[in-house]
Formats: sequence, C-alpha cells, structure tokens
Amino acid sequence: MNQSVSRELFGDKRLGFYIYLGVEAVMFATLFATYIIFTPPSKGVTPTEAFDLRSVIMASVFLLPSSATLLIAEKGLKDGSRVKVWIGLITTFVLGAVFLGLEVHEFYKYAVHEGYTISMNNFMASFYTLVGLHASHVAFGLCWMVLLMLQLKRNLPSALFNEKQKIFNYYWHFVDFIWVMIIIFVYSPYVF
Amino acid sequence: MNLPSIGQIPSDVVAAWIFTIIVGIVLLVWLTKLKKWPVVFEYMRTTHHRKIGTMYILFAIIFFFRAGMDAMLIRTQLAVPKNDFWVFQGDKYNEVFTTHGTIMIFFVAMPLLIGLMNVAVPLQIGANDLAFPYLNAISFWFFLAGGLIFNMSFFMNSAPNAGWTAYAPLSTDTYTPGPNINYYILGLQVSGLGTIFTAINMIVTVIRLRAPGLKLSKMPLFPWSTLVTSSLILVAFPVLTIALVLLMFDRFYGTSFFTGEIGSPVYWQHLFWIFGHPEVYILILPAFGVFSDVISNFSRKKVYGYTSMVIALALIGLLGFMVWAHHMFTVGMGPLANSVFAITTMLIAIPTGVKVFNWLFTMRGGVIRMKTPMLFALGFIPTFVMGGVTGVMLAVAAADYQYHDSYFVVAHFHYTMVGGTILGAFAGIYYWYPKMTGKVLDDKLGRWHFWLFLIGFHLTFLPQHFAGLNGMPRRVYTYTWADNVFIFNAISTVGAYLMGISMLFVIWNLYKTHRYGKKADGDPWDGRTLDWSVASPAPEHPFNPMPKVKRMDEFWYRKVNNKGLEYADDPRPSPISVETYQPIILAGVMIALSIAFIYLWVWLQVILGAGVLSFLVIRSLTDERRQAYREEERS
Repeated sequence: MNQSVSRELFGDKRLGFYIYLGVEAVMFATLFATYIIFTPPSKGVTPTEAFDLRSVIMASVFLLPSSATLLIAEKGLKDGSRVKVWIGLITTFVLGAVFLGLEVHEFYKYAVHEGYTISMNNFMASFYTLVGLHASHVAFGLCWMVLLMLQLKRNLPSALFNEKQKIFNYYWHFVDFIWVMIIIFVYSPYVF
Repeated sequence: MNLPSIGQIPSDVVAAWIFTIIVGIVLLVWLTKLKKWPVVFEYMRTTHHRKIGTMYILFAIIFFFRAGMDAMLIRTQLAVPKNDFWVFQGDKYNEVFTTHGTIMIFFVAMPLLIGLMNVAVPLQIGANDLAFPYLNAISFWFFLAGGLIFNMSFFMNSAPNAGWTAYAPLSTDTYTPGPNINYYILGLQVSGLGTIFTAINMIVTVIRLRAPGLKLSKMPLFPWSTLVTSSLILVAFPVLTIALVLLMFDRFYGTSFFTGEIGSPVYWQHLFWIFGHPEVYILILPAFGVFSDVISNFSRKKVYGYTSMVIALALIGLLGFMVWAHHMFTVGMGPLANSVFAITTMLIAIPTGVKVFNWLFTMRGGVIRMKTPMLFALGFIPTFVMGGVTGVMLAVAAADYQYHDSYFVVAHFHYTMVGGTILGAFAGIYYWYPKMTGKVLDDKLGRWHFWLFLIGFHLTFLPQHFAGLNGMPRRVYTYTWADNVFIFNAISTVGAYLMGISMLFVIWNLYKTHRYGKKADGDPWDGRTLDWSVASPAPEHPFNPMPKVKRMDEFWYRKVNNKGLEYADDPRPSPISVETYQPIILAGVMIALSIAFIYLWVWLQVILGAGVLSFLVIRSLTDERRQAYREEERS
C-alpha cells in the first residue's frame, strides 16, 4: 500500500502548524513582556495581594496532567485501539473543562468579589489579557476535542483522523507549555 | 454640506459616495453586457495560486489609485503657502495623510508583493500549487476584507486620523473618540491575519514543495527573498496583532496600557516599531528578489555572487529586528541605547551595498535588453541608493534630532518604499504579466509609464529633502511664505501630478494589451527559471510530468544546449485544490464582525464571533483530503 499521499500532505500540514504555533508563541511572548513591564504596579492591587497559591496549584493539578492523558490517545492511534483514543480524549476533556472552570472562578473572584477590575491598574489589565488569552485557548481546545470526537465517530480514512488528532495534540501540548510559562513568569515571583 | 436627514457631511465624502455608486453601476452593466459573470464567480471560489495572485495585484492597484488620490489631495493642499484647498485642512488633512500611509503600506505594497509571490514562487520552484490552497484563498479574502473595512471608514465620514503609526496617547479614546481609530485597528487586524497565513503557506511551499533536485542552494533569488520575508512576517506581525489588541482594550474596555498616569505611550512606540521596522524589510526584500531575477534575465547572465546575495538577504532580515528604536531616537532612550541602535542601523548598509554591487556586476559584460521590466530595475538602483544614503544620515542619532519628523524623513522613506518596493512591484508585474494573463504588456506604453513615473518621482521627493532641511515638519497642512519652502513644495506638487499621469498610461496599456495584444507563448522573455517552462497563462498543476533539476537556471542551460527538461519518475504528491465559496463568505462574516466591534454592538459580536468559529467546524467536516486519503486506502 502506497502511503505517500497522506504522508507527504501530513508533513506539509505539520510543518505549517508548527510555524503557526511559533506565531502564537510570539503573541504570547509580547503579552508576557507587557505583564513583566507593568508588574508590580505603582498603584492599586499588587500581585502579592491578589494571587493565592492554592488556586494556582489547583488549576495546575488539572491542566498539566491533561498533556499526559492525551498521550493515552496518542498511544491509541499507534496501537490502532479506538478505546484508548476515546479514554484519552475524554479524560483530557474533563481535566481541561475543570481547569477552565477554575480559571473562570479565579477571574470572577478577582473582578467581582475583590473588586480588582481590568481598569484598576496595568498589572490587572495585563494579567487578564495574558491569562485570559490562555484560557480562551483552553476553551477553543475543548470545542476542538468535541469536534474530534465527532470525527472519530464518523469513520474517516484512518490516515485523515490520525492527522487531525496529531495536529490537535500539538496544539494541546503547546497550550500546556504556555501554562507552565504563566506559572513561572506570572505567579511564581509573587506567590512563594 | 448639509444633507437632509443625515446632517453635516463634508463634500468630499459626498463626492466619493456619488463616484463609487456611478462606477459600481457602470461596472455591473459592463460585466453583464460582456457576459463576464461566470469568470467573476470562478475567481470567487478559486484556490489556484495564479488566480489568487492576480486578484491580489488587481485589488492592490485599485487601492493604489485610492491612496494615490490622497497623495494628490495632499500635494494640492501644499502647493502654495496658506492654501485653502477644498476641505483638506486641520483634522480632514490628518485623515488624508493617515489613510494615504496606511493604505499604501498595508493594502498596496503588501498585496502587490504577496500577489507576485503567489504567481511566481510555485512556478519558479516547480510546485504545482502553494502547500495549502484553501488557506491561500482565506489569506486573500482576509486581505480584501481588511482593505474594505479600512476604506469603509471614509464613506462613514470617520476615517482614521492618528497617522499610519497611530501613536498613543493620540490614538486612545481620550484624544480620538469616535469610531475612526477602531476602523484602523480592525482593518489591520483582519488583513494582518491573512498576511500571517500567507507567510506560513510560502515557507511550507518553499521548504517542502521544490522540484526534485532543486536544492535551496540552487533556488532563484525571488523564492529566496520570499522565504526570508515570510520568516520576518512570522515574528513581526504577531507583535502588531497584540499591540492592536492592547490598543483595543485601551479604547473599548477601560485599560490604560498606553496612556494616563499608569500607562506608557513609549511602550506603544516600541511595540509598533518592533513590528514596523521589520515590516519595511518585509516590503523591500521581495522587491530585491524581483530585481535579481529581472536583471539576470535581461542581461542573459546568471546572478553575480549568488551565495553573497543569499547571505545578504538573510543578514538584512536578521539585522532588521535590531534597529526598531532608530524611529525613537528623540523620545529620550538615553545615549547608550541610541548609539547601539545607530550602529546596527548603519550595519544594514553593508549587506545592501553587497546586493547593489552584485546587480551591477550581473549586468557587466551581459547582453542587456532594455525591456520595460529591466528599465524599472535600472531606475531602481540609483533611486534606492539615494534612499539608502539618506538612511545612513538618519541613523546618526545626534543628527536625527534635527531631521526627526521633518520632510527629510518623508523624502527618505519614499525613496526606499517607492524607489524600491513600488518600482520592484512594477518590474515584477510587467515581467510576470504573461504568466498571469497570457499577454505581454505593451512595451512602448510601458516606457511612457516608466519615464513619467521616474521623473515625476524624483521631482516630487528630491525637493522634499531640502524642504525638510529648511525646517518643514511632516504632517502639517500649510506653511507660510516666510518659511522659505514654497519653491520645494511647488516642484513637489508638479512631480506628484506627473506620477499621477504616468499611472493613466498603465490603464491605457491594460486596455490596449487586452484589446489588441497577441497571445504570448510560454517563454516571452527568453527566461532562465522554471516559471518560463510552462504555458502562459500558467495552467493549474502545470508540472506534469515533474521536471528534474541539476543546477541553477536548469531551464536556461537545457534551452541553450537544445535539450528539453528531464523529468522525475516519482515526484511527491501535489497539494489538493478545491473550488469553494467558503473563504469569501467567511471574509464577509469577518467584515460584519469587525463592524460589530467598531461600533461596540456586543450582542452582534457574540453571534458573528460564533459564526466565524462555525466556519472552522464546516472546514473540518468538508476536508478535501478525505477523498484523496480514501483512494489511497483503497489502492
């Protein structure tokens, strides 16, 4: 069986998507720079007052393992086991969804309960834009996973489904990587 | 002008509405009469690189006339001291120079070059299409959507008015309330997205779709410049995206990144120029690539110093990221930062000089044919060198305190952008016109265009150096007799009209060529690169069978030795092209979404945002690879 069509076209797509992730990385880097420049702020709430260690750890406990559970789905592709693909996707989805819920809760707590609004100072403003962009990436990833599960039920050519899932995997690992960067640059200087 | 039930509207806006409606009706009637609608629909759903490239160039030229009108209005207002021409004083003048600059950079220069890349790059490297044909259509329609959004502002009497750099705090809602700057933000955002996708497409195409044996080290220089330019886009444009997002937050959602007690206007300048300076190299490098190919072709010689040409491209690209702050010498960064950026800026003159000498040596001893593309290349060399020399002058930070924001700067960047990018785009259009349409543009009218444009150009911009040195600041709508700059401005205005007249020859040429021109064969210029080995206009999937390449300019040497191209046995599969209306509809939804943002209609933003996302779902479910992979599975 000649696999050259799917192999080469997937190679194109993978390179293209890697480059796209590079573009995203530049966007996030610009937001990180903005955060670092404006933090700590000269007036209004400081990060030490706003952040609490517990919610960061809680969120990380859910998001970081989701990269690992996604590996189960990747393994499933390799072994040709649809069950593993399903297990991997569903656990990843659940972990991602809980993370998103915690993020929304954190934002809600800051903005409504504590009154740290986006216009309070540039620390809060850059925090909301940076972490908000990441959270919207997670939300986008969740929708993507639903679509992927739909495609899994649709009985596509296996090469095509593999391709779609692999591209998603790169995306999800990237989103996780950005979260690690957020822990390092946004939270860790102020919560420990 | 006081219109019933609308209110006070400036008469130029009314004139533009009337003009556009008349032209629109004429166009509709003409298309119907000539029965051209099937062609229009064909282009609306195409994903073929040549057709998309042609559309890029077509709309870029339309925008060129639009922004050229702005230039004419500017020059008319400045023709004599204390002038009071039509409505173009004060804030109206601010709008005119803002739209002139923004359109010329983002909706003329960029699409002209991207259009040429679309047409020529796949053909030059033996690729049957760009790597992602569907994405390419998205790129084009996003560019057009961005251009339409931006231009809509003028018809709504709220054209952006903070300069093409949109410096904060002027561009924040404190100083420019109203939707004007919102149009700028959304227009650039949408078209910028298209540009990023194009860059990805170009890089993957050049890296992965070259003909068998065509190593990077044997690739023509235009694809090389495309590769370097696309890499610059990947780093520069995302920074602009984020800068615009932050500005949007300042304007819409109450943050103050760039203004007020806690914000930093200088941070906007940094972000803008971290994008903006690479941007000018993004604009000039493809022009360099065009000139390298054109000069080599019309001198019947291979490019002199090929390796140094490639290294110079890469070096200019690299240094392009280390010079952004030379736009900010006077904001008070301190002597150390100023010195560093002054030196990196001067360094760029070295690789650029290498290229200039290599072009000259390419011509030396060659058999030179003075066709229109070659004329533009020859006009470019001295013009661009002058722009480069004033660039080195401006790089001297201490002296820049005198030149900054004066007409000297205006003259400098027009010498590089018009003298480099626009002349390059013209050379490329005349050169590849047969590949786009199957006809060669008339050479005699091309000469008229060239000479009038070049003379008009120098008449316009050479005196502006002296106006600037005499102290005339940029972006002012008038000056007095005592300022001693009348004579420079008067000559400048005459030159601008000459450039305007030269563009009428382009229209005449298009008409004449398509009415009376003969069909061109595949190789009208006796070319050297693979693009001339296929028919004119380039058919879809032209490289079948796929040529095998052993050296640079393989096509030329085979031709000289009276041999045909050799063909490869088992080439890699080509990208799958489709015909679909999805990209154009998506672009339409993007326009609507942008308007919802511009006028802050939140409920519409939500609905249309969901609409845009649903296109991703549709795209995933109607993937054209499904069929191909199914066949592969069966085989």
